Amino acid sequence: MFFDEMLHFFGQMAAQTGLAQFWWGNVLMIAVGIAMILLAIIKKYEPLLLVGIGFSCIISNVPGSDLVLPGGLFHYAYEGVQLLILPPLIFFGVGAMTDFGPMIANPKLVILGAAAHLGIFVALIGAKLLGFTIYEAGAIGIIGGADGPMAIFMTMKLAPHLLPQISVAAYSYMALMPLIQPPVMKLLTSKRERQIRMKQMRTVSRVERIAFPIVIGIVVNLLLPPVAPLITMLMLGNLFKEVLVTERLAKAAANEVMNVVIVILTIAIGSTMGADKFLTGATIEIVALGLLAFLCGTASGVIGAKIMNLFLEEKINPLLGSAGIASVPIAARVAHVVALQDDPENFLIYHAMGPNLAGVFGTALSGGIMLALLQ
Amino acid sequence: MEKDTVTFAIMLSVIDFFLSMVLISGIGVILWLLPFLNRLGKLDEESMRRGH
Repeated sequence: MFFDEMLHFFGQMAAQTGLAQFWWGNVLMIAVGIAMILLAIIKKYEPLLLVGIGFSCIISNVPGSDLVLPGGLFHYAYEGVQLLILPPLIFFGVGAMTDFGPMIANPKLVILGAAAHLGIFVALIGAKLLGFTIYEAGAIGIIGGADGPMAIFMTMKLAPHLLPQISVAAYSYMALMPLIQPPVMKLLTSKRERQIRMKQMRTVSRVERIAFPIVIGIVVNLLLPPVAPLITMLMLGNLFKEVLVTERLAKAAANEVMNVVIVILTIAIGSTMGADKFLTGATIEIVALGLLAFLCGTASGVIGAKIMNLFLEEKINPLLGSAGIASVPIAARVAHVVALQDDPENFLIYHAMGPNLAGVFGTALSGGIMLALLQ
Repeated sequence: MEKDTVTFAIMLSVIDFFLSMVLISGIGVILWLLPFLNRLGKLDEESMRRGH
């Protein structure tokens, strides 16, 4: 009798621990979290993001604690995403560390920032064909914009339950762009085209740099109010940087604010990667659609540049088209590296930053139009 | 029109893609006009950096 009571007591104790809820899915997701951390440390793939996401993914798959439950610490981090506070704050920091000079200096290249976003719509249609709802398809499609905060923003508006898959796919593919883009770029261009050298760009004055965020903030918010939080904070951060009299605010935005927000954002994303939500067929489909979006976006950007060359006297290097994908500055760097392989003195990085930065607006415009049509 | 259909997805994509091209071209036009602001004058960057 005493032995039975002791067994019953220990059984009740065991049932209260996380072990009672632990299943193979948790083991798999813990392995995924560890893999993310290792990729960050060894391969240096987006370490600022993957370490935090990986660790909180691990902890979220250790059942028993109330970290991810309402009232738990991770839950409050998620509230920052759910209430759409964190993505605009990321853009605030991005604006404060971004030099929009290359984009201002060569206005004709901004169209590549939209041309390279065909991948968004290929993924959207593909997702709809696979049976996702139109809202889920819209959120999946925006992976093709290669803009993390925008992907999170759109997902929370359209399909918040897909946040873990979409954010992990978006950030992972951004980190893998040096592997994904070059084969497509080389397939669609000849060596001679890749060797096209761009003319030296003009210097952009301080007056233009200050006017830019003010004018763009007014125009884009007037036309597309749904993306006003993101564009406003992007332009505010940039204005702090460019007016020169608020240097300490610009530095705080680019450093302290950005660092704190990244920590909270990565915890929030990782906290949603519970095995029960992540290990579904939808995850594999979303990962595949994300890759398709990146491949098609790269191709459409390069083709867009080649179409522009049909009308331009002074040809542009078509590799700049692939930089129209918004992943700043990775896509620009990839275009620069691929160009160097065919001409070691062809330095495209500054020119590629133009369409790369325009891609941020391209993603915001595509997302804003999508929200306006769907909501 | 019923939104949750493949037809709507295709229509949405076509409209969105071309509209975003139009809007970003508009941004390009704005950027092309920005240099005209230089006629208003020049800013002394050194004093701007010193003054805070």
